[in-house]
Order: sequence, then structure tokens, then C-alpha cells
Amino acid sequence: MYLKGNFQDRGSAIRALRELQAGGFPAAALDVFSDEPLELPRGVLDRRSHMSLTVVTGAVTLCLLTIGFVYFTQYNYPLTTGGMPIFSFWATGVIFYELTMLGGIVTTLACFLWESGLLRRNRRIPVPVVAPGIISIRVHCREDQSDEAGGCLDRAGASDVGRMGELS
Amino acid sequence: MAAAPEIIPYSQVRHDLWRPLSGASRRYLAIVSLLSAITLWGLFCWGYQLYEGIGVAGIRRPVFWGFYIVNFVFWIGISHAGTLISAILRLTEAQWRKPVTRAAEAITVFALMIGGMFPIIHLGRAWIFYWLIPYPNSRLLWPNFRSPLLWDLTAISTYLTGSTIYLFLPLIPDVAQLAEHATGLRRKLYRFLSLGWTGSDREWHALERAMKLMAAMILAVAVSVHTVVAWDFSMAIAPMWHSTIFGPYFVVGAIFSGIAALLLVMSIIRKTMHFEKYLTPHHFDNLAKLLLLMSLLWLYFSFAENLTVWYGNEPKEMNVFGVRTRGTFSIYFWTMVFCNFVVPFVLLGVKRLRTIRTSTIAAIAVLIGMWLERYIIVVPTLAVTRLPAVSGGYSPTWVEISITIATFAVMALLYLLFSKLFPIVSVWEFEPHPAPED
Amino acid sequence: MNEPTKAESQTGHRWGMAIDLDRCTGCEACVVACHAENNLPISDPESAAKGRAFHWIRVDRYYEGEFPDIRVKYMPVLCQQCDEAPCEPVCPVYATYKNAEGLNVQVYNRCVGTRYCANNCPYSVRFFNWFDPKWPEPLHLQHNPDVSIRMSGVMEKCTFCTQRIQRVEREAKEEKRPVADGEIQPACVQSCPAEAMVFGDLNDRESNVSRLAESGRATRLLEDLGTRPKVFYLQKAE
Repeated sequence: MYLKGNFQDRGSAIRALRELQAGGFPAAALDVFSDEPLELPRGVLDRRSHMSLTVVTGAVTLCLLTIGFVYFTQYNYPLTTGGMPIFSFWATGVIFYELTMLGGIVTTLACFLWESGLLRRNRRIPVPVVAPGIISIRVHCREDQSDEAGGCLDRAGASDVGRMGELS
Repeated sequence: MAAAPEIIPYSQVRHDLWRPLSGASRRYLAIVSLLSAITLWGLFCWGYQLYEGIGVAGIRRPVFWGFYIVNFVFWIGISHAGTLISAILRLTEAQWRKPVTRAAEAITVFALMIGGMFPIIHLGRAWIFYWLIPYPNSRLLWPNFRSPLLWDLTAISTYLTGSTIYLFLPLIPDVAQLAEHATGLRRKLYRFLSLGWTGSDREWHALERAMKLMAAMILAVAVSVHTVVAWDFSMAIAPMWHSTIFGPYFVVGAIFSGIAALLLVMSIIRKTMHFEKYLTPHHFDNLAKLLLLMSLLWLYFSFAENLTVWYGNEPKEMNVFGVRTRGTFSIYFWTMVFCNFVVPFVLLGVKRLRTIRTSTIAAIAVLIGMWLERYIIVVPTLAVTRLPAVSGGYSPTWVEISITIATFAVMALLYLLFSKLFPIVSVWEFEPHPAPED
Repeated sequence: MNEPTKAESQTGHRWGMAIDLDRCTGCEACVVACHAENNLPISDPESAAKGRAFHWIRVDRYYEGEFPDIRVKYMPVLCQQCDEAPCEPVCPVYATYKNAEGLNVQVYNRCVGTRYCANNCPYSVRFFNWFDPKWPEPLHLQHNPDVSIRMSGVMEKCTFCTQRIQRVEREAKEEKRPVADGEIQPACVQSCPAEAMVFGDLNDRESNVSRLAESGRATRLLEDLGTRPKVFYLQKAE
């Protein structure tokens, strides 16, 4: 089941998160909803990200693919260059650079869509409605843990603590 | 940092920044109609050119490239507005950029779309422009990747893709908010574009990380894009084109004209949408200082290029140099220097004179000056050929002038439509972040 | 001076031209012949004033000295068929390239009309079709059937009368004999009354053009640009 609590300011939300995590709720079960990005301090709800590495990999991949594409197509197509070399690395180098960057850009978009969970969001999981300025914390817990979770939220100063049912 | 902005309650922020999205005043509709009419006229002119042949433009032998290429370089230059504000200022974490980023990125995307049309408009057989794209075909033909024009194609496509993504990503949170308050078709559009954004911390983290990476990559791409456009000229052996300085010179010029365009657009937005509280004199002051800095940088590059040509005294280059500074093109050259350096230096360098109004005047002067600079680069070199028996002037025809004016109308039109659909000052970025407790 | 590049040394021929400036009288018969042979669009004074005239070969006049000691030099300038042509690398669609016989060919069907090649040509020998060509009657009946008519938006230039080269090579192949020196004459070479122009195979060291090219009087136009043109101008060394 899902429990939610609303907070008016960042400080109390952070307190609640610390308490919840100390109470044994894993970061994967906690979600914080707000209408602007919260910069949470280290140790509170750290989420690992592989974006940088993936983006570099994507960029390098497209670079190599482009070099391969240019090289092999220039040799396989019946080009008449009249003495100019068939494949000229420096003369076509700009294209490799641009497509490397394009690889990075497209990979960033893909990574963003994946890591944010936007496109694979389970529509059945309820999302708290966030009014401007309000921070909402949602805890995914078992029935028997709901009191403990509710207690953490209350102690941190939540208003509007309540359970949320699954959407059909 | 400068004085903190006035603290505005959040609901007021939303209300103000969303106000332009609802309803359309009579003035708005009139302007949109006028701009649409001009755009249609431009399209008609292009259609006429396609039908009759490109000879209806003023280009001729030996000035084979004219207004269209000038416009191409100019608009790609304008597109660097977003680069500077979004990318460089994001990387340097300058907080004052926040209300300005979306407007800048919108300029970038639209300017790229317009600029990217010109290589097609200037083609002799524009309907087969797609032969520059490497696609498998039954004739076993392949484009020449060696050609700077192919580099243009890749660079501009990459930059356009990147900029569109860069404009879209920070739009998602705003669009998600708008979706909750909109009705009908707009609600459907916003829902679709918001991709199901809920505002969870996972999403915010992913967004911030993506924006940081994108900023660095967009910067790298933008520098390369205008360098590649500059290399269209550098790679040729025409006198005063074959210059090694062109790459950086054009990038500096692009950022320069981009800031000017941004300043002008900001001024107009501030006035027409009554955003006086959001686009404060502080913002304009910073933009004006950046404009002044770029003016000096532009002057440095221009001076370096002209001095080396003049001192080297190579005959063919001196022909072009003479025509630029003392001959038929001298009026444009010196107007360019006046608009690009004297006006910004005086209006923006003297603190007492640096106001929003004078910054806008300086920005307009810079836009005119930079357009003239592109003209000065493209036409005189072609007009004065190596073999003295061939030479010629260039005068644009009504077709070229119409299409040029139409592109400005298209830009304004796209911008007006964009600002009616999406908040031009991004709402979620506007609130300054509270300092992290660490 | 005229070493072939790797691509050419495999084929038989390498076409070049020698033009004797001391013989040229500036009569421009070559220009007229070229117009007739290659279906050039009409260039009238209006189009010339607008810079739209077509002259695949043109005669440049250079004046030296002051009146009454004026000397004029006439220089027919045509496509130099450069070995290192600056027009070739910049075409985005490979519409211009050097073929196996050293000719810089322009493929009309492939040209998209970016006009970069024309900007890069230091000799300004490239011409662009700004409109579809029209010939006033009855000149439309005078076309050479061996030469295609270029449409609007396509670049064109001197081809060393490639249609004549191909015809002679075909005949020679059918007759199983080599092409004789002087057998191929482009229209300009054929029509010159002063016999100032010589066309031939630069790979054949015995041909007229090779001998003239290696004579002490041979120079090339804008040689310092490194374009390695194959048109040699002969003039008395001052």
C-alpha cells in the first residue's frame, strides 16, 4: 500500500526522509514529489545513476559506427574521385565529430527517459497531487509497516497524512 | 552577485507567467495575421523562384553566392543565443540566466530551422536537395563527405536535434503543470508532451543530470557548427576567404549576434507580456555586459584579420580588401564597424548610458551590423576575382529581399505561437533554489 | 611539370592543350565555334550586363604600356582541366570529378546547383544555368545532337569537347588503330584561323602538345595555386 504525507518546507521533508530511512524503508520504496527540484543533501535518498558512463559509451559507439559507415560505403560505392583518396580521415573528420556528439545527445535523451522512469511508469501506482510549494512524500510499504511509516511522517511535521489506494 | 530579486509569492509567479498563454488580444491576432501574410508572400516568392529558375535572384557570375548564403550564416549565427545562455551560463552556474533560458533556446531552435532552409533555397535544383543525404539508391550514387557542405548538413542536423531536445527537456515539468490547469485540446497536447511527468525526485534527478550533460555537449556542438559554416568559406581558395581565423571568428560573431537577438527578444517580451518583475534590469545589465564583451572580442578578431591582410599586401587579397574598405562595399563595411563596435561600446560601456532601452538599441544595431558583416564576408571576395577580366557587382532582386524579410517574419511568427502555447519564462526554474544544507 | 597522378597513369590518354599567345589575334572565332558546338545558351548584351553570359572559352585582353606604345595580349581562357582541381573536392554530390583521361568532367544530371565549385575556381571558367535556356527561332534547330542541353540550376563549363574526343576514340577502337596526334580537335582548336591552339595527348611524349608544353615558352595560368592546369600558354619570354 502507499502512504503519503505533505510537507510545507524542505527541512521537514528531509527530516522525514532521514527517519524513514533509519526506520528501514529502502530508498526504492520512497518517492518525493515536488513542483521544483529539491537538492537533497548527501545520504538522503541517494539514487545511483549511470548516465555519464552510458552517454560516453553512446557517443563513442556512434563515432565508431560513423567511421565505419563512411569508410565502408565509400569503398563499396563506385565512386569516381579522380585521384583523390577514397577515404580521407581528416577531410571527413568533422562528420565523425558531429555524429559522436549526436550519439551522446540521443543517448542522454534515452537515459533520461529510462532513469526518470517516465515512459515505463506503472499507471496503477497512485501519484499524490502536488499543490504549488508543497512537497509530498510517498512511501510504499506493507500493511503492517503503515503505522511506523505514518509515525515517521507525523513526527517530521507532515500534514495530510493518508493512505493511497492502487489505481485501477 | 547582484541584488536579490524581489520575492514574489509562488502563486503570483505562476499566474503572471501563465497569463500570456490564455486568450489572444486583438493586437496579438493582428500581428500574427500580418506576419502570416508576409510569410505567405515569402513562400510565394520562393515558389516563383523554383518555377522560373534561380535567375530571378540577383546572383550572377562571379558572385555566385549572395543574400541566401548571407542569411544562412546570419541565422545560424543567431542560433547561438541559446548556446551561450543555456549552455555556458549553466556550466558556470550563473543564476541570473534562469528566466532567460527558454527564450534563448526557442530562438536557437527557430533560428536553426530558418537557417537550415537557406541552403535549400539557394540551390539551383532545390527539389533534389536530398541527394546530399547518404541513402541507398538504385543509381549507386553517394554524396561527397569531403565537401564542407556535407559537413554543414551533419553539423546543422546534429545541432537542431540537440537544441530541440534541449528545449524540450526543461519544458516537461512546466507542461505537466499546465496540463492540470488546461482544458480541451491544449490539455491533450500538454498531457502528451509531459510524458507522464509526476514530479518525483527520480525524474528531477534524471532531468538535472541530463541537462548538465546536454549543456556540455550542446556547447561542443554549437562551437563546431559555426566553425563548420565558417569552413564553407575557409576551405575555398578565394582571396580573403582562405583564412585560418574564420572558424573562431565566426563562432565569436555568432555568439555576439545571438546575445543581441536575445536581448531584443527579451526586451519585447518584457514589454508586451508585462514581465517587468521577472526580467529585471539586473538581467538586462548582465546581458548588456556580455554583449559589450562580445563586441570587443569581435573587434579583436576583425582587426586581427584585416591587419594581417593589409600588412601582408598580397595583391589578390588587397584587391578584396580595397573594395571592402575603400571601394563599392565601403559603406557597408564602415556601417558594420559603427554598428558592431562604436554603438555597443558607447551605449553599453558607459555605465550611466546602460539602460534597458539603450541596450535594446545597441542590440538592434548589432543585429544590423552582423548581417552586414556576413554580407561583407560573402560578396566582395566573389565580386573581385583572381583574374581581373572577370568581376562584377551584386544587387539583390525583390525575390531575395522578400524572402529575407519573410524569414524575419517567420521567426517572429514561430516565436509568437510558441509563447502562446508554452510559458516563455520557465516557471519551475524561476524560483531560486534554496541553498543546500550540506 | 606535367607528371600524371596515380589515377591517370593507368589509362592511355591525358588530354591537354597549348595556346600560343604570340599567335592569337583575339578574333574570338574560338568563342563562336564553342557556342555553336556545345549548345550554349544565347548571351545577349542584357544578360552580359547582368553577369549571366555564357562563354565556355573567353578571350581576355591585357593591355601593356601607354598610348601610343600600347601592346595588347589576348588570352583565350577556358577550363584548365586542372589535375588538382579546386572545384572537385567541394562538390557535395560528386557532380564534378576528374575522369581517367584527365578531363575534369561535369555531370549535368547529378548537379544540384550549390555553386561552390564556381566559387572555388580561380579562373572563373564555370557557368551556371540561371534559367532554362531558350533559343530564338530558328537557332533552336542548330543544336549539336551530340551535346546535351543543360536545364536550369545546373553548372557547366568547357569539356574539351568531350563528344569529339569520344567519337574519335570510338572510331579508332572500331578501326583497331591508335588515335593519331591532331586527330581530335575541339571546336575552338579547329576554328582558330591563326592555328594558335594545339590539342593532344600529354601522355604521348611525341605529340605536338607535349613538345610545346616542354618548350621554354610554356607557362600556365595561376600556377602558384597548385592547381596543375593542363592548358599551356606559350609566349615569348620577356
